[in-house]
Amino acid sequence: MSLIELQDVSKIYRLGSQEIPALTGVSLTFEAGEFAVLAGPSGSGKTTALNLIGCLDHPTSGHVIVNGLDLGTASKKALADFRLQNIGFIFQSYNLIPVLTAAENAEFTLMLQKVPKPERRAKVRKLFVDLGIDGLENRRPADLSGGQQQRVAIARAMAADPHVILADEPTANLDSHTAEELLELMRRLNREQATTFIFSSHDDRVIAQARRVIHLQDGCLADDLTISK
Amino acid sequence: MLFTLAFRNLWRNRRRTLLTLSAMVASAALLILALGVFSGMFRDMLASATEQYYGHLVLAKTEYHERRDMFAHLDEEVASRYITAEDTEIIGISPRLRSFGLISLAETSQPVELLGVIPEREKQVTSLQTKLIAGNYPSEAVNNGALIGQGLARKLKVSTGDEMVFVTQAADGSIGNDLLIITGIFATGDSRHDNNLVLAPLGWAQKIMVLPGRIHEVAMTLADPMLAALTADRLNPRLPDDVEILDWGDLLPEMREVIAAYDVSRMIIVSILYMATGLGILNTFFMSVMERTREFGILMAQGMRPWTIRGLVLLETCLLGGIALAIGLTCGAVMTLYMQQVGIDLAGYITPVTYAGGTILPRLHAVFEAGNFYVPAGMLLLVSLIAGFLPANRAARLDPVQAVREV
Repeated sequence: MSLIELQDVSKIYRLGSQEIPALTGVSLTFEAGEFAVLAGPSGSGKTTALNLIGCLDHPTSGHVIVNGLDLGTASKKALADFRLQNIGFIFQSYNLIPVLTAAENAEFTLMLQKVPKPERRAKVRKLFVDLGIDGLENRRPADLSGGQQQRVAIARAMAADPHVILADEPTANLDSHTAEELLELMRRLNREQATTFIFSSHDDRVIAQARRVIHLQDGCLADDLTISK
Repeated sequence: MLFTLAFRNLWRNRRRTLLTLSAMVASAALLILALGVFSGMFRDMLASATEQYYGHLVLAKTEYHERRDMFAHLDEEVASRYITAEDTEIIGISPRLRSFGLISLAETSQPVELLGVIPEREKQVTSLQTKLIAGNYPSEAVNNGALIGQGLARKLKVSTGDEMVFVTQAADGSIGNDLLIITGIFATGDSRHDNNLVLAPLGWAQKIMVLPGRIHEVAMTLADPMLAALTADRLNPRLPDDVEILDWGDLLPEMREVIAAYDVSRMIIVSILYMATGLGILNTFFMSVMERTREFGILMAQGMRPWTIRGLVLLETCLLGGIALAIGLTCGAVMTLYMQQVGIDLAGYITPVTYAGGTILPRLHAVFEAGNFYVPAGMLLLVSLIAGFLPANRAARLDPVQAVREV
C-alpha cells in the first residue's frame, strides 16, 4: 500500500455563487521515502494538493488516503490527531510562534503528543545540532534570520518523526544561497533518515533538486516525472 | 508549555492587556470597598438598634413584645434556668424591668420609657456606656442613679446631679413614684433613645412598680449577630410554652428586610459592574484572537485539537482574571482596612438618619465581611470565563486552511 493516494480528487472552492475549481480529477500516489515536488505556476493547485495531503482540507470529490486513513470519513478531532502523529508542515513564512523560543517552537508538537519534558528536550537538542542551529535554542523567532527560522520550522516539523513532511514554497522567502543550503539539508534528511518530503515550488532551481517532479496546470495533472540522480 | 504560551500571549500587546487588567482591578477593588462601606452602614444601623436598646436576643413572655403588658413578668433568675455555660455564642445577659411613665422636674414633664437594669450586666448587652457625654454610667452604689438621653436632658433642662421625679403605674394598682438622680447623659444619635429612654437600677424599678424579684425580659448579646435567628431557633424548644426568645430580626422586621434587600442589591450591583468589565474583556480577547488567526491555523496544522485551542484562549482569560483578582483583592482589602480604621466623618455635613428601626450614622466606615470578597472574586472569574468563551469558541472553530492563509 502506498503512503499517500489521491484517487480522482477534485476540489472546488465556492466564492459566493461562483465556483472555482482548484483541482480536477487528480490521481497520484506517493511512496515512503520520496523527495517530490509539486511544480507549477501560481493558481495551478499546488497548495490545494498539499492541504489535502496534509489533512487540512477535504476533497469535493474523490478520495485522499494517507497512511491508510480515508480523510473523507474522519472527524475534525480525528484529523487533528492524525496530523499530530503523521504529518509535519513547513510553511513559506516559517510561521513560528513568536512568544516561544526556538527550542519551545520545535518542542511544541512533542508537547502535544505528551512526550515527557526531558525526552523532548534531548530530541530537540539533537535536531538543532543536526540542522546546524545549536546555540539558538533560547532565541525568540524575531531574533533569528529567515534561514534560521526556516531551520527551526524544519526542526518543528521533524521533531515528532512524522511519516511525511509537507513544505509549501519553503524557500520562497529566502535568498538563493540560503535556499540552496536548506534544500541540501532537506535532501540530506531524506537520504539519511528516509523522511518523505513533498514540497511545492515554482522555482526551477528548487525543482531541479527533486527526485520526482509533478507538474500541475490549472488544477490538472500535467506531468509526473521521476528523475534518476 | 500551554500555560507558558497562554501567559506570554497575554503580554503580546502589553498596553492593551494592562488597560484591561486595570479596569478589572479597579472594578474588583472599588466594588469590595463599596460593599465594605455598605456593610459598615448596615452594621451601624443594626448596632444602633441592638447595642443601644434591644440586644440580639430577647427572652420574654409570649407576645410581651407586642403588648408590653406590665403583668407579663418573669422570675428574675429565669435566664439561668434555660441558658447554660454551653451556650458559648451568648456573651452577655441582662435582666430588665420595663416601665412607662412621666418624668418631671419642677413644672416640666416628659413621657419616658424606663428600663430597670443591673448596670454591670446591661453593659454586656448594650453600649450606652460608650455614648456618655456627661457624668457616669449608673452603678450599684447609687440605688436611684439614672442615665438619660441628651434630648430628654435638653427638654427637661437638667444636667448630672439633678433630681427628677418618676411617676408610673405600679403592679398593685397604686401610683409608684420616687426620686431619681441623674448620674449620666448619653447621646446615641437615635432620637427615639435620646429623647425617651431612661436607665435606672433594677432594684429601684422593682420597688416602685411593686414587682420584687420580677423582670419583663432578658436581653442577650451574641458574638455574631448574624447567628441570632439560628440561636433563637435552637434555644426556643427548651422554653415553656408561655415564654419565647425573639431574635433582632423578629424585633426589627424592617431591619431584617433591609439587610435581605441589601444582599439582593449587592448581587445586582456586582452583576451590572461586571457586565461592563466583561465587555472589556470580550473586546480584548476578540481582538487578540483575530490578530492570531494565522497562528491558530498553524497550531491546528501541527495537530492541536479544537478543544485545546479553546482551552488555550480560556486559560489566557482565566490567567488575566486571576491576576486581576489577586491585585484587586489586595487593593480592595487595603482600602477597606483604611476605611475600617480611619473612615470619613460626615458629621459636619449630615445628621444621623433613623431608618428601618436603626440609625445611619453620619460617617463612612467599612467592615470586613467574607461575602464582600468572595462574591466579587467569584463573579470576576465567572465573567472572565464567560467573556473568554466567545473568542475561544471562534478560535476553535476556525478552518485551518483559511486561517493559515490569513495575513
